[in-house]
Amino acid sequence: MSTLALQTGQRIRDRLRHDALGLIALTVVVAYVGIAVGVWLGLWGAEWSALSGPGWASPSAEHWLGTNRLGQDILARALASTATAFEIGVLVAVATTVLGALAGGLAGYAGPGKVDDTLLWLIGTLEAIPFYLLVAALVFALGGHPLAMHLAMIATFWTSTARLVRAETQRIRELPFIEAARVAGLAPRAIVLRHVLPNAAHILLVQGTLVFMAAIKVEVVLSFLGIGVQDSISWGVMIAEGAQDILAGQYWNFAAASLFLFGLVMAANLLADQLQDALDPRSLDSRWQPHG
Amino acid sequence: MRWTLVRWTHAGSRMAEQLLSVRQLIVEARSPHGRSVQLVRGLDLDIEAGEILGLTGESGAGKSLTAQVLMGLTPPGMMVAGDSLIRWRGRELNGLAERQWRKLRGSQFALIPQNPMTALNPTRSIGSQMRYLLKLHRQTTGRMATEAAARALSRLAIPDAGRVLERYPHQLSGGMAQRALIAMAVLCRPKLLIADEVTSALDVTSQAAIVDQLTGVCRESGTALLMITHDLGLVARSCDRAAVMYFGRIVEQGPVDSLFGEPRHPYTAGLLAAIPGRADPSQTRLNSLAGQVPDVDWRPSGCSFAPRCNKAAERCIDREPENIKEDERSYRCFHPLLRSP
Repeated sequence: MSTLALQTGQRIRDRLRHDALGLIALTVVVAYVGIAVGVWLGLWGAEWSALSGPGWASPSAEHWLGTNRLGQDILARALASTATAFEIGVLVAVATTVLGALAGGLAGYAGPGKVDDTLLWLIGTLEAIPFYLLVAALVFALGGHPLAMHLAMIATFWTSTARLVRAETQRIRELPFIEAARVAGLAPRAIVLRHVLPNAAHILLVQGTLVFMAAIKVEVVLSFLGIGVQDSISWGVMIAEGAQDILAGQYWNFAAASLFLFGLVMAANLLADQLQDALDPRSLDSRWQPHG
Repeated sequence: MRWTLVRWTHAGSRMAEQLLSVRQLIVEARSPHGRSVQLVRGLDLDIEAGEILGLTGESGAGKSLTAQVLMGLTPPGMMVAGDSLIRWRGRELNGLAERQWRKLRGSQFALIPQNPMTALNPTRSIGSQMRYLLKLHRQTTGRMATEAAARALSRLAIPDAGRVLERYPHQLSGGMAQRALIAMAVLCRPKLLIADEVTSALDVTSQAAIVDQLTGVCRESGTALLMITHDLGLVARSCDRAAVMYFGRIVEQGPVDSLFGEPRHPYTAGLLAAIPGRADPSQTRLNSLAGQVPDVDWRPSGCSFAPRCNKAAERCIDREPENIKEDERSYRCFHPLLRSP
C-alpha cells in the first residue's frame, strides 16, 4: 500500500473519529454495501419477482413491508434494487474516474496546444447535449440494450472529472519533482501515470464518490421514466409503480423505495463532504514540507 | 583555433575522452513585444571524462539555465540559437528530437536537482522511484534492481540502505533526501553528472560531507561532474578545473590551483576577495564586489564587466575582449592581472 493511501486512510479516520455525523454516514453506507453484497450472494432479495402473496398485503411477519399490487414482496424488491444501484454506481464511477483521469491528466500535462484544445472542445460539446435526450437516443440506438444507460452516463459524467484533473495537473506539473522526472528521462505518459495522477488521488476519490451518487440518482430517474433498468428491479421502477398505488391508497411501495434511496444518497453525500474536508489539498501540502 | 585544440594537444598524453564540448552557446528569450534578449551569450565549455569542473559566478549569470539547456530542457519561451554547438561524445545534440534526448537524460548524463525536499515524488517510495529508473534505462528489474538501488545508496554512506528504499520522501531528512537524489542520479552509471547548487538547501554542517561523498562517488566510478555553485570554497575544495561565468559568458577558466592562486580576470579576483578572511584572516569588514550583474535588457557594447571594473579603460567599453589562452587556462580581458613579483 502506498503512503498516500496510508496517509489518506489516516486522515479519513482522524476526521471521522471527531465527527459523529461522518461516522453515522459511514455506517449507513457500509450497511448499504452489506445489503448489496448480500443480494449478490443470494442471501436476500432473490425473490423480488416472485408472486409470493396476495396483492397489496399489509406489513406482516411474512412480508415485512407488505406486497405490491401483484403480490410481490416490497422489502425483497427494495433490497434487490440496492444491488442494482450499486452495480450502476460503481461501474459508472470507476469508468468515469479512469477516463477523466487519463484525459484530464494527459491534456493538463501537455499544456496549451492541440491535445488540450481537443479535450476542451470535446467536453464542451458533450456538455451541450441535453442529458436525457442523449440517453433516450442511446437507448433507442442500442435497441434497449441494458448497458445503454451506463454508456450515456459514462459519456457525459467523465467530463467534470477530466476538467478537475486537468486543472490539478496544471498545478502539479509545475512542482519540482515533475521537472526532476523529466530530467531523469521519463516520457510524458510515465510522468502522468506515476507522478501526476497519484498526487491527484484526493480529487479522484472525492469526485468518484460524487459520480457514484449521481449515477444512482440518475438511474432511478431513468428507470422511473421507463428508459433505465429494463429486465431488473430498481427503486425508480418501484416509485413508478408506487405512483399508481398511491391513487389506491397504498403507500408502502413508494415509501420503501424513496426511503432506501434517500438514506443512501444522504449518507453518501455526508461522507463525500467529510472526505473533501479530510483530503483538502491545502492540508495535503504539508506532505511536501521537510520534517527537520 | 579555439581553446579546446590547445587543451587537446596539451592533454594528449592523458588520453582522456572529450565528453561534452559546447561552442558558442547562445540562449535567447523572446519578450512578448518580439524583442529578444540573450541570456547565455556565446558560452564555450569542455568537459573531459572523469574530471570535476566547477561552474561558478553570481546569481543571474546563467549557470542554471546552461545546465537546463545541456540536459535538453530549454525552459518555455527560450530558445537555443541554431548555430550553437553542443557536442556529446562527438554527437551533435542541438536540434535533437525530444525522443532522442529522453534516451540520453538520466542514462548518459544526469542532473541532481537543487532542492531535495521537493524533487522527490511524495507518493512513491525511494525504492520504487529508483527501480523505475533502472527499468527505464538499464532494463533491470526485480531483485537485481533492488540490489543495485541499495548499492547506490550505500555508496553515499547511507546506513541501512535496504530500509531506506522502503521509505517515502517525507520520512527522510534534507541531507538524506539529497543523498538519495545523488544515488538516483548515479544509479544508471551516467558518464556525466550535473550538480546544480546541490548544497544550497542544506545546513552548513551537512554541506561539506555531502559534497565530499558526491565527488568521492564520481572519482571512484570515473564519472565527470559539472558542479554549479556560487560557493568558491566548494570549488576550491573539490574541483579539478573551474570556470567563472559572468553575464551569460565564461570570463575565465583554468585549473583550480592557478585560477584561484593567480586570477587573471578582475571579476575572478573580485569574487575571491569577497570571501571572508581569505586575504587577511584578521579582517573584520566584509569585502564586497561593487555593483551588480547588468540587467538583461541592457545590452553592453564592450566588456560586460566594465561598469564594475576598476581597471576599465576606453576600449573595454568599445569592444568585447577575445578569449585569451595561456597554458591550460583562458580569460576574456584586456587588462589581466599579472603575476605579482
